[in-house]
Amino acid sequence: MCKSENIYLPNLATIEAIVDETPDVRTLRLVFQDEQVRENFSFRAGQFAEYSSFGFGESTFCIASAPTRKGYIECCFRSVGRVTESLRRLEVGDTVGVRGPYGNSFPIEDFYGKSLVFIAGGIALPPLRTVIWNCLDLRDKFKDITIVYGARSEADLVYKHELKEWQERDDVRLVKCVDPGGAGPDFDGKVGFVPTVLEEAAPSAENTIALVCGPPIMIKFTLPVLERLGFTDDNIYTTLENRMKCGVGKCGRCNVGNVYVCKDGPVFTARQVKAMSQEF
Amino acid sequence: MPQIITEQNLRNLIDLLVKEAKLVVGPKLSGSVVLYEPLTAGSDLTLDALPRRSSKELFFPICEDILSYKRENGSMKVTDVDRSQFPEAVLIGAPPCDAGSPAILDAVMSWDYKDEFYLERRRKSTIVGIACTKGDDACFCRAVGLAPDAEAGSDLFLTPLKDGSYACKAVTEKGEALVAAHRNLFAEGAGGDPVPFVDQGVGKLDLVKIKKWLEEHFEDPLWEKIADICVGCGACAFICPACHCFDINDEGSTDDGVRRKHWDACGFAKFTNHASGHNPRDVQNKRYRNRIMHKFKYYDGKFGKTLCTGCGRCIRACPVGIDIAEILETINSKQD
Ligand SMILES: Cc1cc2nc3c(=O)[nH]c(=O)nc-3n(C[C@H](O)[C@H](O)[C@H](O)COP(=O)(O)OP(=O)(O)OC[C@H]3O[C@@H](n4cnc5c(N)ncnc54)[C@H](O)[C@@H]3O)c2cc1C
Ligand code: SF4
Ligand code: SF4
Ligand code: FES
Repeated sequence: MCKSENIYLPNLATIEAIVDETPDVRTLRLVFQDEQVRENFSFRAGQFAEYSSFGFGESTFCIASAPTRKGYIECCFRSVGRVTESLRRLEVGDTVGVRGPYGNSFPIEDFYGKSLVFIAGGIALPPLRTVIWNCLDLRDKFKDITIVYGARSEADLVYKHELKEWQERDDVRLVKCVDPGGAGPDFDGKVGFVPTVLEEAAPSAENTIALVCGPPIMIKFTLPVLERLGFTDDNIYTTLENRMKCGVGKCGRCNVGNVYVCKDGPVFTARQVKAMSQEF
Repeated sequence: MPQIITEQNLRNLIDLLVKEAKLVVGPKLSGSVVLYEPLTAGSDLTLDALPRRSSKELFFPICEDILSYKRENGSMKVTDVDRSQFPEAVLIGAPPCDAGSPAILDAVMSWDYKDEFYLERRRKSTIVGIACTKGDDACFCRAVGLAPDAEAGSDLFLTPLKDGSYACKAVTEKGEALVAAHRNLFAEGAGGDPVPFVDQGVGKLDLVKIKKWLEEHFEDPLWEKIADICVGCGACAFICPACHCFDINDEGSTDDGVRRKHWDACGFAKFTNHASGHNPRDVQNKRYRNRIMHKFKYYDGKFGKTLCTGCGRCIRACPVGIDIAEILETINSKQD
């Protein structure tokens, strides 16, 4: 009908599986309904999409599955408001809309031959999980892989089944932690805040890239720790998750200065973030 | 060759365009205010006052459908909007502060991803700008690089003459085509004396200096001083020819409805609020600072254009008297 493309038009996808990660965090496995889209859809770790629940609107989540795993994508979201709560009411077999992939990505090829330290807090594991699986699927290309992941309480840890899998692998070092007061009697991880636990775990900064995702407060306290461990600002990557709507640099919502996080980000090095010296 | 059109022929032109089934939009008295509205006849046009709201909504409506969805036999179907149905439009009688705004907005609407809703309307429209003789002391178009007689953004530009007719200049091919298609309404010649412009209240501003100051004063007591009183009503953004922030929402049930794009404003408290409760612009003066920064630093940094046409509408509309021109003058007069 229209020759020119409508950038706001989503592809339709069917919910193929649902996993409840925590009482309010859910993972959806989505399969595109159109065969051509299913075959042609590709993305890079770190990119996000706009997911729609028809009748409620769109919400921004990273693509949480790995680009190395084809045929489906996954998103993992916490129910906090209108769209996320409506997405939560959907069942296996229901349809959602997906626009994307959008934004830049983690430059994984640049990390070949290096060690990696992943540091995540709470619901911010999804944006790193895509990179973790991407790298584990190419395991020979990297040296040591360390994952430091913490949440408020044991119940708030997401991807529990995968944490177990990483814990059992001998080519990954997983340090799992919960805030003081958040551990049950059988908790087999550490008790403490992510920055403290990271400092104790003391991964070597030698030829190593650190990837940090979490609430702004966690990032704020983690960066000095990484600095003490010897990481430079160019070797630390994070994502900025400013509120978004269009995802394509039009709606004017996500800016930090003249950086459009949806276009120029969401992945930035600590050096880039510091250079912004603006509100985010 | 310069052309002249009499006031009567200008109105006749509108009649003809309406007959050609074009959407003709121009300043029209609507109740007690002048607004840009569809004209049904040449007699509708009034050029007595600057319209209360800007003309950007011809290209970027307050609210527009971007798709519809419907569940049929259990499966969801999404339908695109048929943009080929957007009307051929003529915006007529827009002063430079309005005629110039689409030329500024083109940059953001077409970088990388293309917003075809805006761009299709742009392609299908012709802008007949008019030199402004109605300015008041809130106007400051000269300060932002336009002028009461600036042609930028117009396809055809009219200059009011003392004898009541208009000197016409085709600025673009679209303007030439409009004249060529209605050649008999135009006469050749330069015409008489133009109606003089009204002096603007605001003096010359050094935008380069202002931009530099903004770059160096992200944190400055000025922001609290001038912007704590902002009530975040969004009037300044909604009335502005250059503001273009929007939201996207669904209207309808989960089975049948439309998705719509509609205006939003960076002055609203929840504009940048994260679902976690964290808000990068948590107090009003930070939101107002973003407004100034976006217009005079960020947009320029990204697209090389100032996101303000100096129309003065936000000054006239602000319920608490925040005056953007005064703020720019204050910054302009700073020594460091
Ligand atoms: C690049 C990027 C990646 C992201 N990735 C993820 C991800 O992987 N997973 C994830 O969970 N999130 C992610 N987010 C955050 C996610 O976009 C938001 O959590 C989500 O958009 C919230 O949408 P919503 O419509 O449900 O919330 P909204 O309804 O818009 O709610 C927003 C805020 O308003 C409040 N609110 C809502 N309704 C009411 C009400 N009735 N009364 C009072 N207050 C109310 C909410 O509590 C919340 O604070 C990401 C964001 C970005 C920018
Ligand atoms: S910022 Fe104010 S003066 Fe500038 S274009 Fe917008 S409404 Fe007009
Ligand atoms: S019109 Fe005035 S009070 Fe309202 S948002 Fe704009 S500056 Fe603030
Ligand atoms: S999300 Fe719309 S501009 Fe970035």
